[in-house]
Amino acid sequence: MSDEVEAEFPGLRADWLGCACTDHRCDRGVGERLALLASRFNGRQALELRQQQVPDAYRSFSRQVGIDPDQQPTPIEQALLGRLLRGGNLPQDRISDGLLLALLETSVPVIAFDAALVSPPIKIRSAGQDQVVAGAVVEPGSLILADSQQPLCQLFSPPQPPLAAGGASDQLLLVAIIVPDVSALAADEALTIAAAAISGG
Amino acid sequence: MSAFLLEHGAGSDLLPQLESALGQRAARGTMLAQIAQLDRSLSAVACEAFPGRLNLPQLPARAPRLQSLGELELLRDHLIGSLCQAREALAARELERDAARELLEQMLLNPAKHRGVRISQRELGVGGCGVWSVMPRLGPMGRLMGWWRVKLSSGCPLAT
Repeated sequence: MSDEVEAEFPGLRADWLGCACTDHRCDRGVGERLALLASRFNGRQALELRQQQVPDAYRSFSRQVGIDPDQQPTPIEQALLGRLLRGGNLPQDRISDGLLLALLETSVPVIAFDAALVSPPIKIRSAGQDQVVAGAVVEPGSLILADSQQPLCQLFSPPQPPLAAGGASDQLLLVAIIVPDVSALAADEALTIAAAAISGG
Repeated sequence: MSAFLLEHGAGSDLLPQLESALGQRAARGTMLAQIAQLDRSLSAVACEAFPGRLNLPQLPARAPRLQSLGELELLRDHLIGSLCQAREALAARELERDAARELLEQMLLNPAKHRGVRISQRELGVGGCGVWSVMPRLGPMGRLMGWWRVKLSSGCPLAT
């Protein structure tokens, strides 16, 4: 099933990077960077972001897989919408802040799994008949992230416990979802920023 | 050997199937490229419409998945319709703004003829929240003497 997806979208893949997280409290430096990024965007700039290369790639891909990005915004648009509605990027915890920082800096979505429960390689494939993902049966043919042993989550949906990285996770597996026309450099940068922000390095 | 097999029809069923698969693949590729291009055009129109919003028909929410060729065609047609609708809405808005600008010109030339007329900055397509209106000079005296002028209000009052 992953061959079918690869044939349809040759550049679609998941990249991953392991990192440690010993302190789950918000990092002041990351909080300051998030606040600085919040002042970078007003309503017009948030709207016009969709015309930049990487956000445009995610938008086009969303359309191509049957998502209406005006109704179900892409990860970067969702983050900016949240910033506009809340009035800023409010710190939550070290992992969420690190992932948000990577997304805002590069427009590449990164998600975090508990490394103890997930075994790379991570692939994007179609769900089978009666496939259970995160405790729910998903529509056959829908795109999911999977490791070598189990389905992890639906594409562009946040991971759920127990696979999702949480307060008890010391080792994380950061996964960046790369769509066609997004460069490997952007993906590497997103993972590096997230890992540095989370591990405090 | 291969010539013998071909002469007797071996493999002849495979060729149409292969052509069909290649044709499908090419058709899907074309559809995907068209959909991406249409989305870019829609994004450009949405940016042009800001701060106004385009009320375009939306598709039902669903999970991401590989779509059939028929579904891709329907999506492409839907996007074409949305793009046409968006461009028409922008053109209509531009006509309204032209009419408002024309009216403002007439107000400035002959304020007395346009007593009570108000045009907002938004109607003109200009930023800010002021309003152009015709008002009498020197209050009641101006009203009695027929002294009219066009005034631009200072904008939003401070929140109390």
